[in-house]
Amino acid sequence: MRLVIDERRCKGCNLCTMVCPYRIFKPGTKPNARGIVVPELDRPERCANCRLQALYGRTLCGMCQMICPDQAIRWEEEKPGEATKVAIEF
Amino acid sequence: MTYADWLREDRLPHIYCAGCGNGTVINCTLNALDRMGWKKEETIFVSGIGCSSRAPGYIVTDSLHTTHGRALAFATGIKMANPALHVVVFTGDGDLAAIGGNHFIHACRRNIDLTVVCMNNQIYGMTGGQGSPTTPRGALSTTTPYGSQEPAFDLCELASAAGANFVSRWTSYHVKELTRAVHTGFETPGFSFIEALVQCPTNYGRRNKFRNVMDQIEYFKTHGILLQKVKRLREEGKPIPDDAIVLGDFVQRNRAAMGVRR
Repeated sequence: MRLVIDERRCKGCNLCTMVCPYRIFKPGTKPNARGIVVPELDRPERCANCRLQALYGRTLCGMCQMICPDQAIRWEEEKPGEATKVAIEF
Repeated sequence: MTYADWLREDRLPHIYCAGCGNGTVINCTLNALDRMGWKKEETIFVSGIGCSSRAPGYIVTDSLHTTHGRALAFATGIKMANPALHVVVFTGDGDLAAIGGNHFIHACRRNIDLTVVCMNNQIYGMTGGQGSPTTPRGALSTTTPYGSQEPAFDLCELASAAGANFVSRWTSYHVKELTRAVHTGFETPGFSFIEALVQCPTNYGRRNKFRNVMDQIEYFKTHGILLQKVKRLREEGKPIPDDAIVLGDFVQRNRAAMGVRR
């Protein structure tokens, strides 16, 4: 699974940067085409939900998705053959 | 199914300001709804007027956007006409506590089988930041430029006294607890009232020293105090901070309810 921010919905309130226990979200620096500074992802492969959602069959943490007022955060299945990066923090 | 299936994708992004907590409450409500496994045809969302009351427009089920303060009156009508429907009411604090105050206490008294989610942003957000009955003492708004002098309504105590079956209060920071509370509200027969304190960065936060969205969320996080702890402090005779936000399930009882199929 892959963590995705929907740039068409995000309004740049940066609430996700506050709640993520892994601090994956960082406040963005550049405004996008709509003039909104969307948060950046810092090594999103660390997200526990991305790695273990399929194994456990349920959403594990999901705080960013729940608190996002604009419904802009979701997890996507990787396309077959897409390169994936794995990083596990102990 | 996930909560995203209940959203009207073509209507998004919604009109709420950046950082408005109403979107978070929609997420929590839809997550709880998803756990219940209700059908889309059997669920109805009702709302009055205000920022919070725009919410049913983004949900795929049938919905009613009614007159100011009368959401509960319309919801009562729906429930009485067809008790098989699951009726959920989204309202704001100005809608429920100010103009709809009488409908609110009588709906609690009748104990109709509704679930009311009140998004309390402590101000009239949509009309430009006028003080509402839940504006805390000392808070600035356009109608109270020197600080509100009136004591605020405690909606949860009001609902408990009027006779609701399930009463709970959480904030938009406590998303997991809010989801659980809404879920319990759906399961409880009779009137369930869930108050969700939400941040209003544009009209409340800007005037009350919460310049960033995160400041107000941080305030909810640091000033929220559980009901159990308040009871314990009272027993021990210790003081409770004035600005504490009491969170938790206030009432869970089994009074005879109206509109429940036996």
